Amino acid sequence: MAFNLTRRKFLQSASLAAVALPLSKAVASESGIKRSPHESKGSLKEETVVGGICEMCFWRCQLVGKKRDDRLVKIEGNPKSVDNGSSICARGNAGIKLLYDPDRLKYPLKNVGERGNPKWKRISWKEALDECGGKLKAVQDKYGSQSISVFPHGSTAKYPMHFFERTVGTPNVSEASFFQCRGIRDTAYLATIGKAPGEKVDMPNAKVIFLLGGHFGENVHVSHVKSYIKGLQNGAKLVVVDPRYSASAAKSDIWVQIKPGTDTAFLLAIMNYLIKNKKHAEDFIDEYGDGFEEFAAGIKEWTLEKAAKECDVPVAQIKEVADLLAANAPSVSIHPGRHVSWYGNDFQRQRSLACLTGVLGAYYVKGGWVPAIGPKVGKTSWEHKEHEEEHNLNLNSDEELIYPYTPPGTPTELIRDAALTGKPYPIKGCVIWGQNPIQTIPGQEKMKKVLKQMDFVMCVDVMPTDVTMWADILLPEVSYLERYDYIKTGTQWDFAEEHQQYISARMPLAAPMFERKDQVYITNEIAIRMGYEKDIPVKSVEEMVDKNLKVAGLSLAQLKKEEGIHIREGKNPYNIPEDFEVVFYNEDLEDDGFPGVPTYIPVEQPPAGFARLLYGRVPVHTFNRTQNNVWLNKAMPSNPVWLNDELAGKMGLADGDEVGFINQEGVKSRTTTIVKTTPGIRKDSVYMGHGYGSANPLMSVGVNAGVDDTSLITKITVDPETGAHGMRNNFVKFIKDGKVIDIPSAA
Amino acid sequence: MVHTSSTDHIAAIYRFCAQSMQYPDPSWLTNDYFSSLYGLLDALGGDNEKDNLKSTLASAKDYLEDLQVEHTRLFINGMPHVVAPPYGSVYLEKSLQGKYAEDVLVYYRSQGYALSENADLPDNLTHQLEFLSFLAEDKNQKAEEEFLSRFFLPWYTTFSKLVKKESQHPFYHVIISIIDFFTKEEKEYGVQLNEA
Repeated sequence: MAFNLTRRKFLQSASLAAVALPLSKAVASESGIKRSPHESKGSLKEETVVGGICEMCFWRCQLVGKKRDDRLVKIEGNPKSVDNGSSICARGNAGIKLLYDPDRLKYPLKNVGERGNPKWKRISWKEALDECGGKLKAVQDKYGSQSISVFPHGSTAKYPMHFFERTVGTPNVSEASFFQCRGIRDTAYLATIGKAPGEKVDMPNAKVIFLLGGHFGENVHVSHVKSYIKGLQNGAKLVVVDPRYSASAAKSDIWVQIKPGTDTAFLLAIMNYLIKNKKHAEDFIDEYGDGFEEFAAGIKEWTLEKAAKECDVPVAQIKEVADLLAANAPSVSIHPGRHVSWYGNDFQRQRSLACLTGVLGAYYVKGGWVPAIGPKVGKTSWEHKEHEEEHNLNLNSDEELIYPYTPPGTPTELIRDAALTGKPYPIKGCVIWGQNPIQTIPGQEKMKKVLKQMDFVMCVDVMPTDVTMWADILLPEVSYLERYDYIKTGTQWDFAEEHQQYISARMPLAAPMFERKDQVYITNEIAIRMGYEKDIPVKSVEEMVDKNLKVAGLSLAQLKKEEGIHIREGKNPYNIPEDFEVVFYNEDLEDDGFPGVPTYIPVEQPPAGFARLLYGRVPVHTFNRTQNNVWLNKAMPSNPVWLNDELAGKMGLADGDEVGFINQEGVKSRTTTIVKTTPGIRKDSVYMGHGYGSANPLMSVGVNAGVDDTSLITKITVDPETGAHGMRNNFVKFIKDGKVIDIPSAA
Repeated sequence: MVHTSSTDHIAAIYRFCAQSMQYPDPSWLTNDYFSSLYGLLDALGGDNEKDNLKSTLASAKDYLEDLQVEHTRLFINGMPHVVAPPYGSVYLEKSLQGKYAEDVLVYYRSQGYALSENADLPDNLTHQLEFLSFLAEDKNQKAEEEFLSRFFLPWYTTFSKLVKKESQHPFYHVIISIIDFFTKEEKEYGVQLNEA
């Protein structure tokens, strides 16, 4: 549009006054700019703000912020930290770009279009909360509390999750960190040593570090990597079991290029060899072991030769690993892993790792599995109310647990199946808080159908992730740099150093922008609207943190005085508890219909022309939550697919070729990525970094950048003991220029 | 404020433009507002634009919701993605709160202005227009010209093109064209003081 006169002429015209006078009457008197004649001139105040705790990943490093006026300009590690110290990773640095990402959610939005194809309208918080509270209450009234499902993730999601689980009374909560990540590890170790293992291996003081799939360097948690590197600097030998030449494999003394899915066979053979050759920790097992004889008898079939064949690894190499572990026992760090939902036979593998640690006597000893003794703080949240067990989807008709070793919550597939069948009851309300089930949970189309059939879907997030396209109401949450909440406690990571404990609480490094709100405000307001006002445990997130700190004799004010971190004397972590035991043969497991002795369960192999799709971490991204970060995208804009170089030659593919994928069920990737040819991957597998290829155009940086591996994970396997997912049982062929290319190794 | 001079009239136009970029709300989208807007379009010779806008509004099932959806899509979060966040830093530094935002704030302060308590970010389009309105009211032609050329136009030009290209509702096309008219030619013609 161009008006038919010049500005000069218009301003000189007689009509100016006639036009301008009504304009001034149509304008509100308030303005964002005000006269302030005494305003200080010149450059802005600079300051360092303490109390930050990172959440670019869940490791949560301690931070300080450099500010100019209200603008956060740089994030650094808190120099007082005995955890990450002044170091932070690339993602931690790039937090600024999350804070100020123009694509971030800013105001409550209402979907006036349809789920999956939204049309957003900004609405007031009051309207948004009325809608959320009203619609969830309607679902509850019509179908019962159990009809509300919750998909939470991250530190802000705990408070709302507890509200829905403990107060409203729905058992249907699925945390990705359990069911698509570490839950199997935790319950397998619980069934073996009575404790969830964390990543509590004393790597700085180990003589051998044993990683099964762990790829530190690509997977960066600052103090954990420091601890690993210190161990290597101190002379630890490194064993890495991985089908791929990972960053850790590149530092290893022994790289076991194992056939995917066969890890349990490998571990059983090592243990059988150690026992047969009396290289196991006999005294430790006598004192702390339970069911060792049954265990030894139960794994005796696993000779080195048998495992070598199954795992496609030389006999000599398995023996070499076993001898190395035995020679250095008990100072060996058998790493329990973290993301372990791989093949649907994972509980048995995790039990095997726990048993191997026991066979080597490597609990509570220098270099072994050693849980640090941290300080105690409060856990203020919603109180548990009495709720009937009858709506637990994890109970069969005989009222027995379907997945007896499930992590807390309800296995994801049980919730989704109930939602789709309406049996045993409908699931009609959905609260998604910080989780992105579209890119987290295998079976995207199934997840979409689940969301479609809901009466109401609400999402709370900082970014417009893929799942937010399915929301009716979308609420903008403050980021970790703009809020109080998480209390991080721990100890120094090298137990050879003076024992210290620390307590730090997240404090905002920048004021919240736009209309973003925190989890306590949002949850409480929904609770009021659902009729639970009298149950509200705290009025603000600051009150919650202060209550929790009070248990440790601290407060937010005191922590601020202490540069954000309180440090006190620590305790020696090496004393083994009197009641500690390693349950090698677990009778309860057998009673529940599962193997009492760790057992190898073979997994399906790739059909002809396909390779197994493996995925993992890249150092500059945390799953899919960082994919829209402009700095991190610049550092690694795509997720190249690793392809064995010999195969690439046969397939006519070269480095940099652009390819897409088709899986065993005919599902094609929406986008493409580039080929990375390497001898560092087995011929039966391909590999790509996880967390790319967002389908949501609102993520203007991350949309269609690389390939979304989860979109190709359509075959859903479920671990029988835990109900958690196995996510590496899908197979792909390549597509180049529209033509499907078979992968010849498996042909 | 009582408008008597040409600069006061310009100040009123800047404020009107600033108001028009706020989130659509019945508190200001009144009959008075629309008749003022139509009056301005008449004076500018924008008959076609006026007719087009009028007929779009008249035929809408819910004209307010249409404007709200369009504002959300263009300036907040929208499909396929937010079209044109109204913040200078986004165009100059691909981020909110870039150094540019700080420079704008320092400039406000240098002229004796500050952000109100509930203000948006300093480089928000609305605030820049409000600031220009104050400068016009102050008859501070030098600062007005300097602010337009140093701070406003370097990003606004890109923003304006984007909105005009992507806008699916004539309202924003009209408003952006009016802002164009009163800011873009400023450099060429200079601020017109009342010669009477």
